[in-house]
Amino acid sequence: MTRKLQAFIFAFICFVSMMAQERTITGTVMDGEFKGEPLMGATVTTGTGKAIKGVVTDLEGKFTIKVPADTKKLLVSYMGYKTYSLTLKPSVNTYQVTLYFSDKSLDEFIVTGYQQIDRRKLTAAVTTVDISEETVGAVKNIDQALAGQVAGLSTVAASGAPGAPMKIRIRGTSSINGVQEPLWVLDGIPLEGNEIPAMENLNDIDDIYQTSIAGLNPADIENITVLKDAAATAIYGARAANGVIVITTKKGKVGRPVVNFSAKLTYNPRADIDRLNLLNADEKVDLELALLQTPYDYRQHKGGVANILDELGEFSTYQTGGWDALSPQAQQRINHLRSINTDWNDILFRDVLNQEYNVSLSGGSDKAHYYASAGYYTEQGTVKGVENNRYNLTLKTDFKLNKILTVGASVFANQRNQKSYMTDGGGFTNPVYYSRMANPYFEPYDALGNYIYDTNVQGRESEAPDFNIFEERSNTAKERKDRSFMAIFDAEFKFNSHLKLTTQYGLQHDNYTLTRYAGHDSYAMRKTKEYATFIVDGVRKSILPDGGMNKQTEAHTDQWTWKAMLEWNNRFNEIHDVELMGGTEVRHVETEVLTSTAYGYDPRTLTTQPVLFPSESIAQRYPLYEEGHTENAFVSWFATGSYTLLHRYTLGASVRFDGSDVFGVAKKYRYLPLYSFSGLWRGKEEKFLQDVDWLDELSLRASYGLQGNIDKNTSPYLIGTFDKITVLPGYIENVISAETAPNPNLKWEKTKNVNVGLNLAFLKNRVRLNVDYYYRRSTDLISSRQLPLETGFASTTVNWASMENRGWEIALNTRNIVTDNFSWTTSLNMGFNTNKILNETVAENSTYPSREGYPVGALFAYKTAGLDADGYPLFVAKDGTKQTAAEFFRLNRFGASTLSAEEQRNLYTYMGTTEPECSGGFINTFEWGDWQLNANFVFNLGMKVRVQPSYSPTYFDRGLNTNHDILNRWTSANPNTNMPALMVNTPARASEFTHFSEYNTYSMLDLWVRSLNYCRLQSLRLGYKIPKRFLAPIGITSASLSLEGRNLFVVASNYDNYLDPETMGNPYAQPITRSFIFGLNVNF
Amino acid sequence: MKIKTLIIPILAALVLVACDDFLDITPTGKVIAKTGDEYRALLTYEYKYFPKDRYMTTVRTDEVIMDKSKSSSTDLDAYLDLWRWKDDNPSPTTTYFSWRTYYHSIYIANYIIEHQEEITDATADEISQLVGEAYMMRAYCHFLLVNLYAEPFTHCNPAVTRGVPMQLQADVNAMPGSSSVEAIYQQVLADLAQAEQYLKVDKWEEGKNYRFNKSSVQALRARTYLYMGRWQDALDAADAVIAAHGELEDLNSSAVLPNSFKSVENIVALERFSSNLFTVINMPSPDFISMYRSGDQRRTKFFKRVTSSSYALQKGGNDEYASTFRTSEAYLTAAEAAARLGHLEDAVDYLIPLMEKRLNASAYQATMELVEAMDQDALIQEILDERARELAFEGHRWNDLRRTTQPELTRTYDGEVYTLVADRYTMRFPTGAVEANPEIERWEPQVSE
Repeated sequence: MTRKLQAFIFAFICFVSMMAQERTITGTVMDGEFKGEPLMGATVTTGTGKAIKGVVTDLEGKFTIKVPADTKKLLVSYMGYKTYSLTLKPSVNTYQVTLYFSDKSLDEFIVTGYQQIDRRKLTAAVTTVDISEETVGAVKNIDQALAGQVAGLSTVAASGAPGAPMKIRIRGTSSINGVQEPLWVLDGIPLEGNEIPAMENLNDIDDIYQTSIAGLNPADIENITVLKDAAATAIYGARAANGVIVITTKKGKVGRPVVNFSAKLTYNPRADIDRLNLLNADEKVDLELALLQTPYDYRQHKGGVANILDELGEFSTYQTGGWDALSPQAQQRINHLRSINTDWNDILFRDVLNQEYNVSLSGGSDKAHYYASAGYYTEQGTVKGVENNRYNLTLKTDFKLNKILTVGASVFANQRNQKSYMTDGGGFTNPVYYSRMANPYFEPYDALGNYIYDTNVQGRESEAPDFNIFEERSNTAKERKDRSFMAIFDAEFKFNSHLKLTTQYGLQHDNYTLTRYAGHDSYAMRKTKEYATFIVDGVRKSILPDGGMNKQTEAHTDQWTWKAMLEWNNRFNEIHDVELMGGTEVRHVETEVLTSTAYGYDPRTLTTQPVLFPSESIAQRYPLYEEGHTENAFVSWFATGSYTLLHRYTLGASVRFDGSDVFGVAKKYRYLPLYSFSGLWRGKEEKFLQDVDWLDELSLRASYGLQGNIDKNTSPYLIGTFDKITVLPGYIENVISAETAPNPNLKWEKTKNVNVGLNLAFLKNRVRLNVDYYYRRSTDLISSRQLPLETGFASTTVNWASMENRGWEIALNTRNIVTDNFSWTTSLNMGFNTNKILNETVAENSTYPSREGYPVGALFAYKTAGLDADGYPLFVAKDGTKQTAAEFFRLNRFGASTLSAEEQRNLYTYMGTTEPECSGGFINTFEWGDWQLNANFVFNLGMKVRVQPSYSPTYFDRGLNTNHDILNRWTSANPNTNMPALMVNTPARASEFTHFSEYNTYSMLDLWVRSLNYCRLQSLRLGYKIPKRFLAPIGITSASLSLEGRNLFVVASNYDNYLDPETMGNPYAQPITRSFIFGLNVNF
Repeated sequence: MKIKTLIIPILAALVLVACDDFLDITPTGKVIAKTGDEYRALLTYEYKYFPKDRYMTTVRTDEVIMDKSKSSSTDLDAYLDLWRWKDDNPSPTTTYFSWRTYYHSIYIANYIIEHQEEITDATADEISQLVGEAYMMRAYCHFLLVNLYAEPFTHCNPAVTRGVPMQLQADVNAMPGSSSVEAIYQQVLADLAQAEQYLKVDKWEEGKNYRFNKSSVQALRARTYLYMGRWQDALDAADAVIAAHGELEDLNSSAVLPNSFKSVENIVALERFSSNLFTVINMPSPDFISMYRSGDQRRTKFFKRVTSSSYALQKGGNDEYASTFRTSEAYLTAAEAAARLGHLEDAVDYLIPLMEKRLNASAYQATMELVEAMDQDALIQEILDERARELAFEGHRWNDLRRTTQPELTRTYDGEVYTLVADRYTMRFPTGAVEANPEIERWEPQVSE
């Protein structure tokens, strides 16, 4: 008892005496990067002793800490900033500390999705982009944020439509078949549904679709890490063959709750179609008049002039007698056409004002962090009626339950709504396309405001139902509603400082409803009905009831991923660092699609009518209900390890086995090991470089790895699909449809990947240079190949080629000027990729040349040398002589070439490649006091593109408008031109005529290959931080305003007749619009 | 420690087994054929989607008219250029005759022939029947192809004339060129001989009678020899059909049309008359209808008078009308072959049973008197006309015109006159097929040895 008491008293005395020996330090931590701003949430500690003490700075950057009197140093740190060691003077108790950005490459951890890797041990080629408005501007989707930010990552916008995804390629194209998009990973969980479907027809661009990344709100994202070489991606296995993009979302920071609110207003002016060089009314009328006096007779009764002549019965009068033979009435009416110039640009497109709002609440303590946000954005297209909007809700928390266990949960939910127009096979209901095709003298409304039908619009059919674009737009609709929900749960068991077990479970549920509606009074419906006309009991009628059509597609994708990883690390004798990690991953994906179609639909009463099909075979052509279901499962094992000697020599390796369900494949083909080896040397740590003052970093990286891919749709066996049909009426039978050609020889596609990189920093980190060289050799590439139809199949999947990509990536960051209140920094990144097909087994039946020795995007065309005496193209033969098509192709009387396939292949000439030789970005940031100016340029250089011919020489439809090329066509009066004549079938040239009208030789002429180089000012942004003194009285911590212009201008090689260089190849693509954005950002 | 060394491998093994189960997902609705039923389902698919080209050739004959004011625009889009034999640069909307579909059927036929040993859950007879049908399928597809896309056997030197590609293996890597007309016909006959060995079913029950049966071997053989001009062989085969399957539909009493799959005449009801031609165009030529003599039941049963000068077709238009081989054809083939061989009385004897069932009593009397008085040429012409009347719109007319006199038919459309010249009796290969395999168009006549 007494002993206990004694002990107690002793302890008490000690305690009191310790109290007596403490001193209180107060101070302020300032942000060195943002002049005059306090740094909130910085940590101030007594350092590394056993009795470590620490506090966190408050809103004003102030801290108060009681420390033992003998404390000599305090460490002030903040994530992303250089830790400052504060030496305490005996008599001074108040200090001011300024923290500066740390040398990023030295202090940060890189998030790979599986691990956090210390940059000092990073052997792989990765790039991290911080996502903030200052760096990427006001982007709507995260794929846009990456444009021009990462060396070796190229982005191309296929369309300017709201919500249209970007085509992203990392280090060129490695696979031809199927997926070329990189794998997207959100906080460790790979996302499903980011494949952009292949567009087989140009007007497929109107098919609206949403990727799952489009559901993420850029405001919730902290940074994005792009994994480029095998050392980084091998751990993701087969899906990572095209690179990996890892998204890390924001997380609450220790400190008091922070509320952030931001708002943006965007103004998009309408596109200007003057660039299309379309004919005006005067020119169009002249063209039609001229054509009517030539033998060219394709659709000769089309066009405003012919319509008038037919109406007055003077068609043949004009053909024989010309203008002077026409009655005054006809002359007057035709001349009237010249006076009408409908401004399609003005009535089909609009200026729009769009809005975006985000609010978030975040904060945390030692034990827990939280982040919650809500976002809303709407984007209306400059094409009337086109719209995309999104609501986001994000919740993210983590708790440290005890010394060992930390758990976290996050939820990402969003809803998107996309509205567009219904499209048809001819593409006329696409306003962008129609604006090119509609006659300038056509007026869509009469004096009373009723619709006038455009009788000149028709596809290749000989007659077309009534069409008016405005009636069409108001009576048809296409709308897609997406709802996505993703939840991630993770737990970390930290058994001691060496051993850690982490496990993560991610759940992704996406569903969408696509509604396509065509009202009774619409071209789409009229056309559908026309096609559904049959003779039933001797009466010709459409089997579809009166009313509209409503087609609904419902699709669900459910994915779950579970992974567990055990990590162990240790340091021996202060110089040997070992890190090992092993784990497993299980994934399951299920997709379901239901489509139902209702006819006789009335949108007001929501009623439909049954369709009475005259026979079962007709009923089968109009399925009212369809269902599809797919299911896939994957199991993987992976391991990585690294060994570091003397903090400067690191060796790493990783391996992964992917197993998946592949139907009709032997089990041994289910697994392929993918692996990598890599190394790093950090030269600056060497003794002989430590004293070199001007050099801040010198590291060399190297890696080698194997990536692979398999096509799951092709089997060595003849795989069929069950169906139930009736052959003879009344008798139902099972059938198996086997329309996929089997291929017993199909192997894994493999890519060997070598990367060598150099990181350099000098002049006190004023200049940072990263250079990477890579070489990727892909063998047994999988692609679809056209088969001779006599095999019974149209195409199959084969291992067809091997290919190499080699290239340089350069990222140069410089701080050109840094003074107290002015700084200028630039960031230039460039990727040079050369792609070459090493060998290719061209199908014997192919008439298009092998790309062997050429890039994968190789474009071949027929070299022409002007026109002959009839205005037919003259071809340049290999021996340099000029030949007509009949000689060049040795045509027979059916217009078919009598050359062998191989001889036909040799007729082509290489023109260039569709992939950029150099792409990149150039980013400038100027800061002056509270002002900041950013200018981001993106560029793609050295591409070729095949454009659609301005007109067809045999099927030019005079009922439609076209660009000025038609006026420059060959005629006997205009023989010095390169634009071919409009051809007519004459006995002398019958075989050529048939050839040009039936085979696609004409579009393969070199005339239609254009160069494509462009540099676009993607973003020009002026930001202003409102000074504290104005904000403090109203309780605002900080606030900033910004004004940004996006896509202000583009410098490009000739893209006459097109709206943007990017959309040159596709007349259906919506233009890439300019926008002006006003932004407000407030922190409470 | 001991327990650990035991547990870990067991756990690992369990995980691996579980994984294999986890990965054993059979995609919904997908199958690799193993059982007899599944092989049957593969073949049924080919029966179901068998091309209706034979009926489409009707457009090129004198059976159909087109009219700018009466035909609908979709008909004109699809058929006008076929109808006026504008083959050099038809409108791009023109319907194509099939190509790949035939070869897909041939592929499946070859596949069944090659895999017959591996078929499970079926009796030997069932497998044998399936293989026999596969040979029939292959023979019939080659037969139709050579008659669509190559010169008629009787109007060329078949040994050196380009035929069509021949496929005897299920091989997606094969790239055949074209074989001679002679070679294709010989292969058809060889496949028929094989089919004869394998086929087991004499007659399929109603609903399944689209499938090939034993009589169909003789029926196709008769037609093949007829097209080759081998009269005695044609006669023998036709006799065999009549012996096995001689019953005829009596139009004087029956309401069933002879080309219905329910008719007693039906041998194989594969090709269906429900194509657009019968539901959409449906404009029989009045000139053609005038070939029927008064008292001919077919004139009113096959056609319905709509206005004084226009008719509608009644022997097609829904799935009930399906006929590839039927008994009447055998009688007509036998009659023609006999007449060509100079056995005029035999020829008339073959006509009698058909005439009885098609004409009313008085017309029968009158016609028989007329026929019995004919000389050889007149009788042959009468039999050919009878073929046209009986098999109207069933896809025989085009081939009959081709193999016989190749008359220069003419048509008028929108004021312009079009003529069917001899070389338009053979259609060129579809552009898509030539694009996919230019080798098929190349033909250097081999000197026959």
